[in-house]
Amino acid sequence: MTTENVFDVEHVTLRFGGVVSLNDVSLFQRRGEILAVIGPNGAGKTSLFNSLTGVYQPQEGTITFHRADGRAMSVIGKKAHRVAGAGVARTFQASRMFSALSAFDNVKIGAEDHRGFGVVGAMVRGPRTRHDDRRSDAKTVELLRFVGLADRANVLAASLSYGERRRLEIARGLATEPEVLLLDEPAAGTNPAEKLDLARLIRRVRDELGVTILLIEHDMKLVMSLAERLYVLNFGSVIAEGTPAEIRANPVVVEAYLGTSAEASA
Amino acid sequence: MIRSFFQRAPIRRLLVVVGVVAVVELITGPPGSNQYPTSGFTGSYSEAASFFGLFRTQRWVVFVALALIAWGIVEFWTRYGAAIRSGGSSALAGPRQVSEKRPVRVGFALALLVLGILLPHIVNNAFWQSALVTYVAIYVLLAIGLNVVVGFAGLLDLGYVAFYAIGAYTTAWVTGALPTPPPFGHALDAFWAIPFAVVFVVIAGVLLGAPTLRLRGDYLAIVTLGFGEIITIFANNLYGITGGSTGTKQIPHPVFHVGPIKYTWGLAPVPYYYLALGSVVLFLVVFSLLQRSRVGRAWTAIREDEVAAESLGINPLKFKVMAFAVGAASAGFAGVITASADNFLFPSSFTLVFSINILVLVILGGMGSISGVVVGAIIIQVVQAYLNHTPPSGYQQPDLYIYVGALLITMMIFRPAGLIPSRQRRREITLYEESHEGHPDEVLLGDDV
Repeated sequence: MTTENVFDVEHVTLRFGGVVSLNDVSLFQRRGEILAVIGPNGAGKTSLFNSLTGVYQPQEGTITFHRADGRAMSVIGKKAHRVAGAGVARTFQASRMFSALSAFDNVKIGAEDHRGFGVVGAMVRGPRTRHDDRRSDAKTVELLRFVGLADRANVLAASLSYGERRRLEIARGLATEPEVLLLDEPAAGTNPAEKLDLARLIRRVRDELGVTILLIEHDMKLVMSLAERLYVLNFGSVIAEGTPAEIRANPVVVEAYLGTSAEASA
Repeated sequence: MIRSFFQRAPIRRLLVVVGVVAVVELITGPPGSNQYPTSGFTGSYSEAASFFGLFRTQRWVVFVALALIAWGIVEFWTRYGAAIRSGGSSALAGPRQVSEKRPVRVGFALALLVLGILLPHIVNNAFWQSALVTYVAIYVLLAIGLNVVVGFAGLLDLGYVAFYAIGAYTTAWVTGALPTPPPFGHALDAFWAIPFAVVFVVIAGVLLGAPTLRLRGDYLAIVTLGFGEIITIFANNLYGITGGSTGTKQIPHPVFHVGPIKYTWGLAPVPYYYLALGSVVLFLVVFSLLQRSRVGRAWTAIREDEVAAESLGINPLKFKVMAFAVGAASAGFAGVITASADNFLFPSSFTLVFSINILVLVILGGMGSISGVVVGAIIIQVVQAYLNHTPPSGYQQPDLYIYVGALLITMMIFRPAGLIPSRQRRREITLYEESHEGHPDEVLLGDDV
């Protein structure tokens, strides 16, 4: 057993009726690594994310999530909230904020413990509840500061800019105290300056909080500067794996992105 | 060109106002016949109905005038209402700041409570004293319970009457008014039916919720609708258990007897009013504490975006079942009070229309807003009691549905978040309209209502 891996994905196949979304995908992620998954549109990147977080249930293969305390969890067959509770946080491609709530409440909902049936406890606000509440508030403030949104705490999530919303989503994910953070196209819809900020933030999440990062991104400049290792997906299959330099030099990858050149196919 | 003319917001509002006034005119006018279906418009006011002969004219003239006046008011309010209320600053200007300062409303609530306590002595009239229980307090109790399910957790429950029925029939069972023998072999007092009813109703909520709350939206609504029907049909047909359509035997008045304190409820409605008022206050406190707790925030998260909520470790099914069970509790309470105040139960009182009525109270008052739901329920139910007690000439009880229907349509157009909307719900509706690229006029309308 390799405990230095966080994720072990083995021979995973995901089908929707006749459509094969993931085809015999095997990959792994080391603890503390910034790993990226790239590929053309429809390659199965988001399907992979959804399989890793329990939203989709692949028909074949195994996905194992190794926790820092040595316990392992088989993700397939688990509900999304169980996987999230075990330490896998994520953001969404089209950001999914609680738009009618303030930035503060968005993060606070992530910071709160949702296990147990504390109807009465939550209601009567006993010392335990008040203590938990103060803790969640403190954690929320700290995380908003961490992502640079401290002065936007009381603003509605819907009135934040794209870049701010992305950062808020990261803060909300981090509030669940995850071991791995899955980022689905965090830079989509942001301007170049915001992209730089975002790259810096993602690196800080890993360096300062020790959270492992798995990233889907289309912006090649961002991916190549951020990721330590990449997987390339095309038509649901892994077609390449390696460091940014290796991927850039890989003819298979170039072909998947740009198509076969006329000379090569002739 | 013509199309875009009709799509302009003021024109659309004019059409709506004309439509509403036309309905009112047809309802209140002389009944039509096959030959003259439009006599609601073409008839004239009788001598008696006109104000000193001032309006002794064709009904349609009054109708057009009314429509234009109503439209004028609506247009004025749409254009200048926001400025009037906020002192010039538009709701849309600048980033929306959320000020979640807990308002100091305790004093206001206490004043209302004192008013509530004094109310039966103020009205001091047999009909209204009993109407305060049967028309108002019971419905407020039911509306705030359904509000937990519909307003807090965002689940459309069309079978809420089932919980009310279970609460009421549990009371009948505990007091020995059913053909089935009461628990432990001997009849208990109706007061002790309260814990039984609450426990049964919560269990029913969990039993119904656990398998069905995996469904979303419309599907859930259909299943709950079916559940409501099933309970009514059970009450009707399980003759040996519920007494069937002939109803229960007499349910005794409750007696509160703990130690030296003994109080017996009798035929007088006022003691029941205080019992109901007490339970309303109890549930108001419980529900507003829950709304502000982490359970309430989890409900909000699920309502806003279930997938995102789940990604934060919130188990949607668990919290939805919780909402069902918690919301059902007040219906169980209402069931006990009804059963012991009315003394007899009939399955025909627990129909689909009843569920819809409660839902209408919640929607009109403002889903998710406790104060809105209470105010909405009081207004509608007082009007209903008044109309039933002193009906205007030609008014019949079922007519109320026409008026409530028209009111509901009007509300959905001009005040979709309800009478006293919850701040969050209002924002959700505004954001929804903005995200669907509504006409600029509409966005403003949605925001400042």
